[in-house]
Amino acid sequence: MQKDDFSKSYVVEGKLALPYTYFAGRVGSRFLTTLRDHKTIMGVRCDTCSKVFVPPRQTCERCFSDIRDNWVTLENKGELINFTVVREADKHLPRKTPYILGLIRLDGADTPMVHIIEGIEPDKIAEGMRVRAVFAGESEGTILEIAHFEIVPPCGMRSRQISTNS
Amino acid sequence: MSEYYGIDVDDVFNTMASRFRPEGAEGVDAVFGYDITEKGKWKLSVGQGRMALDITEDLSGCDVVVRVDEQTFAGIIAGKLDAMAALSANKMKVEGDFNLFAVTGKIFTKYVPPGQEVEPEQELVMLKRTISVNQRFATGPIMGTFLQGLKEKTILAIKCPGCGRLQSPPREICAPCRIRNDSWVEIGPAGEMRMLEYCYYASPDPLTGETRETPYGAIGVLLDGCKDNEVFWHLLNPQQLNDVRMGMVMGDKVVHGTRLRPVWSANRTGSINDIKYFEIDE
Amino acid sequence: MGYKKRNRHVGIVGIGETKFSSHREDVNQPEMIHEAVRGALDDAGLTMDDIDCVVHGNMELFEMVHQPDMWHTLGTGAYGKSAFRVTTGGTTGGTLVCGADNLVASGMYDVVLAVGFEKLQEGHTTGGITNMADPLWARRLQSGALTAQAAVKLIAEFGEARARRAAMTYRIIMDMHACKNPNAHRAFHLDWDQMEDLMATSPPLIGDLRLIHMCSQSDGACAIIFASEKKAREISGKPVWVRDHITVHREETLNLHNNYYPIETTHSFAAKQLYGRNGIDNPLEYFDVFEMYDPSAWWGVDWLRDFFLLEGDEHIKMVENRDIMIDGKMPINPSGGVIATNPIGATAIIRVAEAAKQIRGDAGDHQIPGNVEHGLASSFGGTMWTVLTMLEKETNW
Repeated sequence: MQKDDFSKSYVVEGKLALPYTYFAGRVGSRFLTTLRDHKTIMGVRCDTCSKVFVPPRQTCERCFSDIRDNWVTLENKGELINFTVVREADKHLPRKTPYILGLIRLDGADTPMVHIIEGIEPDKIAEGMRVRAVFAGESEGTILEIAHFEIVPPCGMRSRQISTNS
Repeated sequence: MSEYYGIDVDDVFNTMASRFRPEGAEGVDAVFGYDITEKGKWKLSVGQGRMALDITEDLSGCDVVVRVDEQTFAGIIAGKLDAMAALSANKMKVEGDFNLFAVTGKIFTKYVPPGQEVEPEQELVMLKRTISVNQRFATGPIMGTFLQGLKEKTILAIKCPGCGRLQSPPREICAPCRIRNDSWVEIGPAGEMRMLEYCYYASPDPLTGETRETPYGAIGVLLDGCKDNEVFWHLLNPQQLNDVRMGMVMGDKVVHGTRLRPVWSANRTGSINDIKYFEIDE
Repeated sequence: MGYKKRNRHVGIVGIGETKFSSHREDVNQPEMIHEAVRGALDDAGLTMDDIDCVVHGNMELFEMVHQPDMWHTLGTGAYGKSAFRVTTGGTTGGTLVCGADNLVASGMYDVVLAVGFEKLQEGHTTGGITNMADPLWARRLQSGALTAQAAVKLIAEFGEARARRAAMTYRIIMDMHACKNPNAHRAFHLDWDQMEDLMATSPPLIGDLRLIHMCSQSDGACAIIFASEKKAREISGKPVWVRDHITVHREETLNLHNNYYPIETTHSFAAKQLYGRNGIDNPLEYFDVFEMYDPSAWWGVDWLRDFFLLEGDEHIKMVENRDIMIDGKMPINPSGGVIATNPIGATAIIRVAEAAKQIRGDAGDHQIPGNVEHGLASSFGGTMWTVLTMLEKETNW
């Protein structure tokens, strides 16, 4: 086998930059505009499987029925069923690290949704905590119409906002 | 008064002032000409968040002129016909700055014929972004040797020990022979032009995210020392696009292309940009 | 070439297509795919439970979503099933068919759903295609799939006037076919009397390649269900059999920007191999329909010679005599082809779907008259791939 001379190898810095567009579709658009205009989270229900999907989708992936008209309004609060702490910084992330990404199952939903948890230190976060959506003022038409979820203290008192870097 | 698609074209122009959106016209400073065949000509001036519309015979001085028949224009306004399709089918012609023409879509609210109800359409969410990801490309020893040669103003080709053909830029293996290329030959730096791709179409360059300036010319040059298919792919001095001739071999018929030589960049780093472009060497 | 024979016959039993357009803002990606999947299932009279495996494909760079097959389970029904992902550029659709055919022919799966899609409005087609080029060299030089080389070649060989007329004749014929296909994206209702005007005034993209010659950029999806012979005969009254297919990659992109002829193209090499091993000496006589992947009118004309193993100007005459029209001697792209409709990840599978519809006799307004028994479909990819597929009405080869 020939042995290559790697003394001539080097690295050229470059990038990949291309424009793109994303269409949410009718179902996705209704979900997002309802978040933005009514500060309300909606899902869809599959009557065959008795499942409520949040975020909503047009088709139930299990039984393949068309569920796009079975809208359900959900509570803005739910249970944190899992989480991870993002520690590695990157320019594409929505927050400065470290920050918490949570899987939240809203009251009334059967599927969890991913969002950012704020107002609590990463070493204090735990599964089972109750969380509540905090809506943003920006009109982006993305999931960040919800700015983040905050922890709801168990005794029902208003939680004190701990300022975080956003 | 003729109507197509339920739309009276005169009314489209008469209502422009009432449908004008200053926020959509922000940053726009241009004169648009509309030539609606056998109907009339209109000149629309937009600037400083204001507009002025004139019925005129004279569309000189417009930054862009749209020439289209009444039916096609009405169809586009009604949303029944696609502007790009009309352009492709030559039912509509745009003279001047084409990208400027697209701006008119944002300056006015949608025209609704009088008496017609505005159907509330569901708002469909759309997100426009540019992804930009940093990348690092490893040259490997073969491409590295070649690129470093450019730094020294040398164009290298690699040679196949089997069939003897040259490749520049080089490849590790000769694909038809399936053996390693193993020796280097200096070629050019001048040669004759074989192919010219005269590019009018401006596309985004994924290496920079910027739109390429047009027109530009991508060329295949048969550098001195090379033969047959051994062309070198690079760029032509855009000022010389109309002054060059393609070389060709079609069986026995041989036409020699314009002689070209590379123009080297002052600051060479071992990349394709070390050659700025090729220029005429005759 | 190392090719053996299939273990069992494979039939196409279901076909689904979306209406192709540039304005599908009303659906997201899985929703759009679902339309085609639903169409194929309905066409076959099957449910998702009957599908053993899903093969999914598109060209990722356009929508800027990685591994979209994961997200698209919402629309493909692949949840809990075996699934494969294919992405081979422009040939994606063709490779999907090869993959699905191989999976069923091998005996590993009985019923496989292949689905190709693209939502080109969600990306930049030319920028995306440029990104496939070598980052250290060609990426700086290539402009997507746009090239005037085919025009240069045809003009050099046949003269400016004849070559330009042939390309425009081809273009108008493709548009006429598209006008008969309700699913086609672009149907301009071009007429012969527009020929001179279009040749002179259509905006040039690169050299002699004008806007009117170039393919569409479309949104859409296409799904085909493949079944083993036994199952196919149970499911469908008219299964279309996949006889053979070949995939060849033969031209080196760094040699492309040349004016040196003749060269053995990837298409002609693929055709010779495929016809040779199937004992077909005269492809022009043998095939009843050819759905060709024609990204531009210039290539469409040029490649007729390669695919039909013709000589001299026989292919130009085919176009000039309008033999390639739906009611002609050798119908090409009765669907309108790629120039009319091009959702890249789906385009090549649409070629197979359309050829299959012709054999079944249910292509509607764009159906070729008479008995269609032997179909050919090609795929093309930007780094000079060819995938060539043969379809048959009966299993009597």
